[in-house]
This record gives sequence, C-alpha cells and structure tokens, in this order.
Amino acid sequence: MAAAAAAPARSEVLSLFRSFLRTARQFSDYNICEYTRRRAADAFRENRALADAPAAAAAFAEGKKQLEVAKRQEVVYSLYAPKSKSIMEMKLQ
Amino acid sequence: MVVNHSITRQSSRPTPHHPNGPWEVGPRGLVDPAGRRYARGPRGPAASPFSALRIKPWPRGPTYPATFLPFLSPIAVTLFALAAFPSLASVPMASIAGSALSFARPVKAINVNSLSFSPTTKGNAFLRLQPVPMRFAVSCAAKKDTVDKVCGIVKKQLALAEDAEVSGASKFSELGADSLDTVEIVMGLEEEFGISVEESSAQTIATVEDAAELIDKLVSEKSS
Repeated sequence: MAAAAAAPARSEVLSLFRSFLRTARQFSDYNICEYTRRRAADAFRENRALADAPAAAAAFAEGKKQLEVAKRQEVVYSLYAPKSKSIMEMKLQ
Repeated sequence: MVVNHSITRQSSRPTPHHPNGPWEVGPRGLVDPAGRRYARGPRGPAASPFSALRIKPWPRGPTYPATFLPFLSPIAVTLFALAAFPSLASVPMASIAGSALSFARPVKAINVNSLSFSPTTKGNAFLRLQPVPMRFAVSCAAKKDTVDKVCGIVKKQLALAEDAEVSGASKFSELGADSLDTVEIVMGLEEEFGISVEESSAQTIATVEDAAELIDKLVSEKSS
C-alpha cells in the first residue's frame, strides 16, 4: 500500500461496525452469528484509542477486508444451513 | 380365517412394496396377505392399559370442568397433601386459602397433573398463579410500552443492574455507553421490533426517548 489514506471519520467507523452487525445477523448458524458480533465488538473496542492517522486508516482497511470475508462466509454458510435452530435461539417457555 | 372379498381394488397381487401381497383394510381392522386379522375390535388386543381395564382416564364431555370440583375442594386438597407429604404441615394455610379462589373456574390440566400424579416432588406449591402485570398506556411522545422495552434492552446491553435508573430522558452517554455500545443497542432494538433503522437516523439517537420515538415512527410506518 503506497499512500496511507486519511484517518476514517467517526461516522464511517460506526457504519462499518453496523454493517458487521447486520451481516452477523444474517448468519443461519447461531454460533457464527454470535462469534462475528463478539469479534467485531472486541476488535473495534481494542482499536478505539488509536491516536495516529495511519494506524487508524490501516485498522479501518483491515476491518473492511474482514467485512468482505464475513459476507462471503455468510453466503457459504447459507448453503449449509443447520436444519434445526440452536437451543440458545429458542425463547424461554 | 376371514378374508374380505368385498374389496374391489386389485390388491391381491404382490407389489414391490409388499412381496407377499399387500395388507388390506377390512371392516374390523387390517388383514394381512394370509388373511389374519389384526384388529382393535371387540376381542382385539388392548390398545392401552386403560382400555383393557375399561377405565376412562379422564372424564370427557360437557361436565369436564365440573368434575374437578368435588375432587379439588380445598379440604380434600389439604387432607390429601398432608397425607401424602407430612412435612408440609408447616406450609402456611394462606396459600391454600388464596388458591381456593381459583377453583371457581376451570383449572388447567397441567396444574392438576402436578397435584395428583407426581407425589414424588416434595414441597409443591399447589397452584402457582402467575400475576399478569397491568400496563397503563400513557400517551406521550413515545409509548410507555416502547420506552420500557427500550430500557430493558439498554440495561441488558450495558449490563446494568435491574433497579438502575433508566428513564426516557437518560442519555446513553450518561449510562456509560460509548458510540459502539449505542450502535449495538440500536441493532438490538432493530431485532426486537423488527424494524430497520437508517444510518443517518441512527447517528442522531442520543437518549432513550429518541430511540423510542424513532421506533414508534418506524413501526407505524411499517404497519401502515
């Protein structure tokens, strides 16, 4: 990567996080859905206090790549959806 | 050997599913290819212990609710319980007096079963009456129901105590939520209410009241 882009704006970061959560919601497998949410929240929280612009821009680019990965995996997992819902997804009777 | 000749379909030839010939349905039950009858008719095998003993397991018909009343009179219940588990003598009789009100209307089958058919569980509360919370809908900018649900989701997301002060006017930042928490809260609200919040509107949510109003607007738009 030749020139580091400028630091992403706050709204861009939040919308990236939102897209992660939306993609996580579409997973048919409860475990992967929960993992995606947790991992995204952890990663964003960890990189929350990045001060300098290049580091923040690098983290943002990494996040975008991971979002692409998650979207591809969502397509693959939907081909092999589990037949029954996980017990964690069932409402308490 | 009884063979039913009145069946008109051509079923006596062997088919791939029934190499010896198919089973036929006669008037008194199934008939196998050899002509033996497998029936639950008069002299047929008993379907269940109850039918063999000729006991009806449960009273049927229009008197269905009323048949419980003599059996479940409070005195009979008390005597039965004290006889079955004597350790319950210390159970306050107020619970029985309180549950006596419920016998005026038909009792759900589940509760009756727990009383009479499971004597092994000790210390049964005889009938647990679930109190229904009364909700008074106050019409203000956002519905109270919505605000309550939003507060519940916020508390769960931020891991606040159950009795924490979360009202309509509390800001997310005051409750200790950063912007990432706000995004997660908004996603939780989307899932709970089945709506889809726009990017721009999501950025402007700052208090519980804002969120509740937005939700009401989106829900009414969706249903209209």
